[in-house]
Amino acid sequence: MSHVWTGTGPRRRRSSDRLRFGLVISILLLLEFYLRPSLIEGRGMPDLLLLVLLLLCLRLSPGMAALAGLAIGLTIDVLSPARFGANMIAHVALGYGAAWGRAVFFADNLAVNVGLFLFGTWCRNLAVLLLSGAALGRLTAEALIWGPLQGLTTAAVGLLVVILFRDWLAIRIDR
Amino acid sequence: MRDYGGRDAAAAADLLVLGACVVVALLGYVLPRPFAAEVVTTLRQTALRPAVALRERAARDRISRFALAGIQASRDSLALRVMRDSTLRRENVALRRLVGLGEATTMPWVGGAVLHQPSATDGLTLSLNVGREDGIHQFDPVLTADGLLGYIWSVAAQSSVVLTWMHPDFGASAVTADGAILGFVQPVSVGRLGHPMLELRGVALSDSLSDGAEILSSGLGGVFPGQIPIGRIVGIEPDPLGYERLYRVAPHTNPGTISHVMVLTTSTEDGSVATGTGESPP
Repeated sequence: MSHVWTGTGPRRRRSSDRLRFGLVISILLLLEFYLRPSLIEGRGMPDLLLLVLLLLCLRLSPGMAALAGLAIGLTIDVLSPARFGANMIAHVALGYGAAWGRAVFFADNLAVNVGLFLFGTWCRNLAVLLLSGAALGRLTAEALIWGPLQGLTTAAVGLLVVILFRDWLAIRIDR
Repeated sequence: MRDYGGRDAAAAADLLVLGACVVVALLGYVLPRPFAAEVVTTLRQTALRPAVALRERAARDRISRFALAGIQASRDSLALRVMRDSTLRRENVALRRLVGLGEATTMPWVGGAVLHQPSATDGLTLSLNVGREDGIHQFDPVLTADGLLGYIWSVAAQSSVVLTWMHPDFGASAVTADGAILGFVQPVSVGRLGHPMLELRGVALSDSLSDGAEILSSGLGGVFPGQIPIGRIVGIEPDPLGYERLYRVAPHTNPGTISHVMVLTTSTEDGSVATGTGESPP
């Protein structure tokens, strides 16, 4: 009997699911804080902290996703404090919006999840810049160049993670 | 029958949590900058210390892996320059002795690596891998080999945050290379695409500067010592009020691409800031 969930029936959450999910999140955090910066840095690189938040949004209720957004926003605010609180506001809004939207509107398919990673990154970047009081030029460059680029790289990593760890993350993907 | 009551209760609980999160986030947003700097410092030293340490280690590994050749090349070119200028320095020392001047004062400095973040605001502020344990204090000036970058905004035990010239809160007293014209530089967006630049304000209408004129820090204001290169004049902007001349200044440093900086440790232990003499930036 196969233990791989095919998405065709109800799925019971087991304690090992949480462990596996935690393991995936830990791997992403290690990639974000050590592996990626030790190899390459610069704008347009995938934001794995944001990816962690969006993966949490696929599992959690909107309220808990907002709480996760607050924690991740605070972390980014502390590591890159151009305007303290800007990341917290943006991530709380994104966390709640993504989790609520998924519960109400989004279909469970791969393209929608990838779109969520891409659009979520773009929206978050613009919101943070707006709240930080950035100049118009920076906003334009972010909206047209850096935001879409980082959205694409984040979505690419997200796609890889979802495909590789679909069962571990308990993400249902319609076929 | 579906349990609409239970679903409503869950939705209400979600909204309650959202409201609490929004309140906390807004409180953080409106926190005055000195308090925000304290919060950042505290969290960098406690809860997020492992993350900061990991990123620092990653930066060190990346530099040793990919930037060593560049560092060696710049060290070699500096060594050549020092050798070339040695005669000039000897003459200078001899002349100072002749007129009874002591040795020129040098300002202590600490070198640090920049830990870039993949965030939209990277460049407005930068994280450094050096902190209070290295002798760094709040408001210490930060330079690169090319010129002024900004100042230390928040400092933890082993890390710190630089507020760069791109940040809307940045400002510095400036002077022309000949010391004739004083002004104040602040960040500004130029053109339809809004290129980040500095603007030299406070220049009298009777004074004029030509394109290419070098702008240095004046040493006034108590944060930056004098004679640190800031940028070059690249144009003039019309003053809507007609009271002063406004000049565009292209800064020498680009916060987005910098990997190493020098922090001038001018502050004293009690928190007061020693003003620079302007004689010898590193």
